[in-house]
Amino acid sequence: MPNEPVGVLIIGAGASGAAFAWSIADIGTSVLCLEQGPWMKQKDYPTNGLAFEARGMGEFSPNPNVRQLPADYPVNETETPISPLMFNAVGGSTILWAAHFPRFTPGDFRVKTQDGVADDWPIDYETLEPFFAINDRMMGVSGLAGDPAYPYHEPPLPPLPLGRLGNTLARGFEKLGWHWWPSDSAILSREYEGRAGCINLGPCTTGCAQGAKASTDITYWIAAQRKGVQVRTGCRVREITVRADGTADGVLYYDEEGQLQEQKAEVVVVACNGIGTPRLLLNSRSPQHPNGLANSSGLVGKNLMHHPYAMITGIFEEPLQGRRGPIGCSIWSHQFYGSDPSRGFVRGYSFEAVRGLGPAQTALLGMMQGRIPWGAGHHDAYARLYDRTATLLAITEDLPEETNTVTLDPELKDSHGIPAPKVTYRLSENSRKMLAHGVERAKEALTAAGAVDTIVDPLMRGAGWHLMGTARMGTDPKTSVVNERGQAHDARNLFIIDGSIFVTAGGVNPTSTIQALALYVADSIKKNVESVFEQP
Amino acid sequence: MSDSRTPVSDEAFLDAVLDVVIPPGGDGRMPGAGTLGIESIVAAAVAVDAMLGPLVRAGLSAVQEAAVARDPNGFTALTPAARLEVVEAAAESHPFLMLGLVRYLYPAYYAHPRVLAAIGEPPRAPFPEGYEIEPTDPLLLEGLQRRRRA
Repeated sequence: MPNEPVGVLIIGAGASGAAFAWSIADIGTSVLCLEQGPWMKQKDYPTNGLAFEARGMGEFSPNPNVRQLPADYPVNETETPISPLMFNAVGGSTILWAAHFPRFTPGDFRVKTQDGVADDWPIDYETLEPFFAINDRMMGVSGLAGDPAYPYHEPPLPPLPLGRLGNTLARGFEKLGWHWWPSDSAILSREYEGRAGCINLGPCTTGCAQGAKASTDITYWIAAQRKGVQVRTGCRVREITVRADGTADGVLYYDEEGQLQEQKAEVVVVACNGIGTPRLLLNSRSPQHPNGLANSSGLVGKNLMHHPYAMITGIFEEPLQGRRGPIGCSIWSHQFYGSDPSRGFVRGYSFEAVRGLGPAQTALLGMMQGRIPWGAGHHDAYARLYDRTATLLAITEDLPEETNTVTLDPELKDSHGIPAPKVTYRLSENSRKMLAHGVERAKEALTAAGAVDTIVDPLMRGAGWHLMGTARMGTDPKTSVVNERGQAHDARNLFIIDGSIFVTAGGVNPTSTIQALALYVADSIKKNVESVFEQP
Repeated sequence: MSDSRTPVSDEAFLDAVLDVVIPPGGDGRMPGAGTLGIESIVAAAVAVDAMLGPLVRAGLSAVQEAAVARDPNGFTALTPAARLEVVEAAAESHPFLMLGLVRYLYPAYYAHPRVLAAIGEPPRAPFPEGYEIEPTDPLLLEGLQRRRRA
């Protein structure tokens, strides 16, 4: 039996798809989301058992090439120094994220104006501000109002406790007179809207068994479903189909049984992340769009941006109780955010403090760094590291370059035979200098905090969480894929709402901004229904 | 001892090798890896690892062969010093032996209740009890209050 046509069809149930669905449901039309992954269950998350670290490196690895679950598609990562990471389920990558939740700063939207590089966004912080606030309430954000690095805003919940590790690092920043602030975190510091508060399980990055971390399956999707939004899981979209006039017509997708299905829609919304979205658009070739859907600019899949990370780990003499508490959420620093010509690079980076490693991760890191041998010296070396490490991540602002791309791999395919994405990425000289600067400053901060030694990973391979720029927004159809409202220049009823539409990357985690953008796009559709939906 | 079996499926052999990789601590606090009954976890993981699995099996076979060359009764019949020599030689000639082995041994070892207790951790899963952590230092918060944006 054919599927009933819907008003709005969303592809992808992650951070942006969920926020958009909840908002767009207000217009009263039918809303359906197709998601290739399943619903997750908190009882299945690794911290329910002793082997939580082993499972975090396997079936809950953030790398789809490691997991290889039925919901995953392979990504050719042979030509990039940064492995793309993601999770495929209702909730998307928020299932495994650390929930470190900074917003972009006002200056992040004006890079060209400020520094003469990249481009300005066609929208600004002030436009997004109300949507940041809505998003904070929907996700449940804990934080301390008044961070001088940002326009004033009040997180709905008080900040998470820093713990001994966070206190120790903060004292180091204090000693140097450097900016630091408790992180805004999408983790509940106390009970909130039926969800329990954080109990400091530690590895948020394998899913939160407590439900205190905001993954969108337990935040937006609950509320969206109450509004009547339908979610169909196990559905992998092969291509977006188009009408004779080139506008979107719906999709062809493989259902849970592997059967090809057709789903018609008046409006199609793509929310598949900075790799999945260009992959889908490039796989949606037609006579009307011979180079892929919405690709008349030729920019679909180009300008891929990550946040190249350096990881600097301090070794302390005293226990830090660092394994306990949300791993990615204690403090951040914007001391080196924004440009300073004396540093030899443009733009800047933030620091994110990361809590200590678990027992097994400590042993593996020690082995890889040559600090913990096997054999007779193992236990003594292990005791010098375990619970005595604290890490700063330098999250650098990557600038857009057309040569950093997501393309279709000519050979690699997913389990349905759909061409898989290939990532081609080269670290720029600017980013390289920024990372080196971050390493040295992090060493200073850690030493000021009491570290007696440091371990440096100058460019983390397993850190490609943030996938941005591959369907950028702009006002000129020749130099952008979507307009300032997320609407494809080439198809008025096609919208893109994930990190693909970012113009620049900022130097902070992007999810708060991705979700604010998704809410903004939904709101602008609600205000312009006539221009989006076909009139009878 | 049955050194004719494949090395990964020979529990006594694998236990003995794991005990070389993580031996008992000198003060008796830390158990040896071969005494915890985790060899089956390691063996199962190695068996399904398409990349590291064959390299680990090849390395363990080298250990087994070198041991039999020294003593027909195999690895478990060797003295502790001889076991170490044999494993060191195999690790030298098979560079991925240790990498592959500890990739699965460390997570299994450091998830064992006895080991967790020995390193000062409660021997339980994180959930549902969770953990307490120190509150934010009030002195730090006072400093932030002075700097906060109104």
